[in-house]
Amino acid sequence: MEYLRQVGALIWKDVVVEFRTRERVAAMGGFTVLVGILFNYAIDPTVVEPQGIAAGLIWMTIIFGGMLGLGRTFSLEEEEGAFQGILLSPIPRDAIYLGKVAGNFIILTVVTGLVFGVFALFFGLTFGRHPGALAGVVLLGILGFVAIGTLFSAISSRTSMGDTLLPILVFPLMIPVIIYGATATATLFAGRPVAEVDGNIRMLGAFAAVALFAGAGLFRFVVEE
Amino acid sequence: MSPRIRWSGAALGLLGIATTLVLHWMVFFWVPTERTMGVVQRIFYIHVPAAWVAFMAFGVVAICSGVYLWLKDERLDMAAVAAAEGGILYTAIVLLTGPFWGRVAWGTWWSWEPRLTLTLLLFFIYIGYFLVRSSTENPERGKRFAAVVGIVGALDIPLIHLSVTWFRSLHPAPVVMRPDGPSLHPDMLATLFVGLGASTLVFFSFFLFRYGLERMNRALAHREIAAQGAPQPEGAAS
Repeated sequence: MEYLRQVGALIWKDVVVEFRTRERVAAMGGFTVLVGILFNYAIDPTVVEPQGIAAGLIWMTIIFGGMLGLGRTFSLEEEEGAFQGILLSPIPRDAIYLGKVAGNFIILTVVTGLVFGVFALFFGLTFGRHPGALAGVVLLGILGFVAIGTLFSAISSRTSMGDTLLPILVFPLMIPVIIYGATATATLFAGRPVAEVDGNIRMLGAFAAVALFAGAGLFRFVVEE
Repeated sequence: MSPRIRWSGAALGLLGIATTLVLHWMVFFWVPTERTMGVVQRIFYIHVPAAWVAFMAFGVVAICSGVYLWLKDERLDMAAVAAAEGGILYTAIVLLTGPFWGRVAWGTWWSWEPRLTLTLLLFFIYIGYFLVRSSTENPERGKRFAAVVGIVGALDIPLIHLSVTWFRSLHPAPVVMRPDGPSLHPDMLATLFVGLGASTLVFFSFFLFRYGLERMNRALAHREIAAQGAPQPEGAAS
């Protein structure tokens, strides 16, 4: 119970900071709208049917936009030395990690909603007939992505390469999320029944679970001095 | 380098080179030619053992990293570095020999075939492992970060394997590890096992030499730090 309260306090802190500064959401939101505009000219919609490649485009935009925000997970606290304060507080290391993951997850969920809105608006997409299953696929996918990304963001922000290192560490590990996430999204966009993506949802859930357990267990070795 | 490491490394190396020579004799003169793919299939006896070693090396990296985080024993970190360097070399061998075989057998240099993709991703995980290690000012931190990358990479590899296999398969199906026994011709299987022995022996020889080298490097670094921090020897001032 105490543990949940600690995680909740960290989430609340991150969400309030984000709500007041709007730094990351503004950057990621601007990024997604601009990517939508660039895609429109990079892939001529009169030649290529946007509906056919929408799932892939949406997932790539979420991943790239997400990297932008994940890289800054710890930067606010690094700058002010505030992270030392969090480490000194009597909160277990894995609770700090889970709080950070949850904070990132909330922010990325908002951005993902924006991505879907922007793409629907710009390319006139339809999202199929199963919004619940679609939300499940997308939320599980970004949970796995955020779980890995938060752990490696803690690593990359403490190296001399900084955020440039993050994609090199995270992208090779994101293959299962992209494969299961994008294929399931494409299947649902095409209006296929939910039963066809059951396996994908299970695999995305397994990925997220493994990533969260590994991250919670290993985070203390990343932040220890 | 301690004599024990040097001699066992040299012994394994010589044994490995001898086995490699036998392997080449078998590949060029002894083993029968595969019916559909022809002569080019003989790359198999280099390609597959290299892949096995590349993945085994990553297993060594992951286990040493995990135990290193637990026990904080410097030697385990040195073993992980040595295995990772050997692993990246063998991954490169797989990625270089694969396209030549693929060009003739499939008519294309590259295909998004599961095991090919997995090996390429393994290569990039190894690259991340070394980048993390080299881009930290505090070496202790670099060791911990690299260990975390090694462990998460090893946990993710089965999932990557599942996903890419599920996505598409064009590569020859497994011919050795099958529930109903190997489907390979016995002579081919023998050659494959000689290849596996050769690459494993050479790998462990590399591993031992690299481990010894890493140990000397660190001892030297410690000595330099000690020399800088040590008080002036007596009589130096006069």
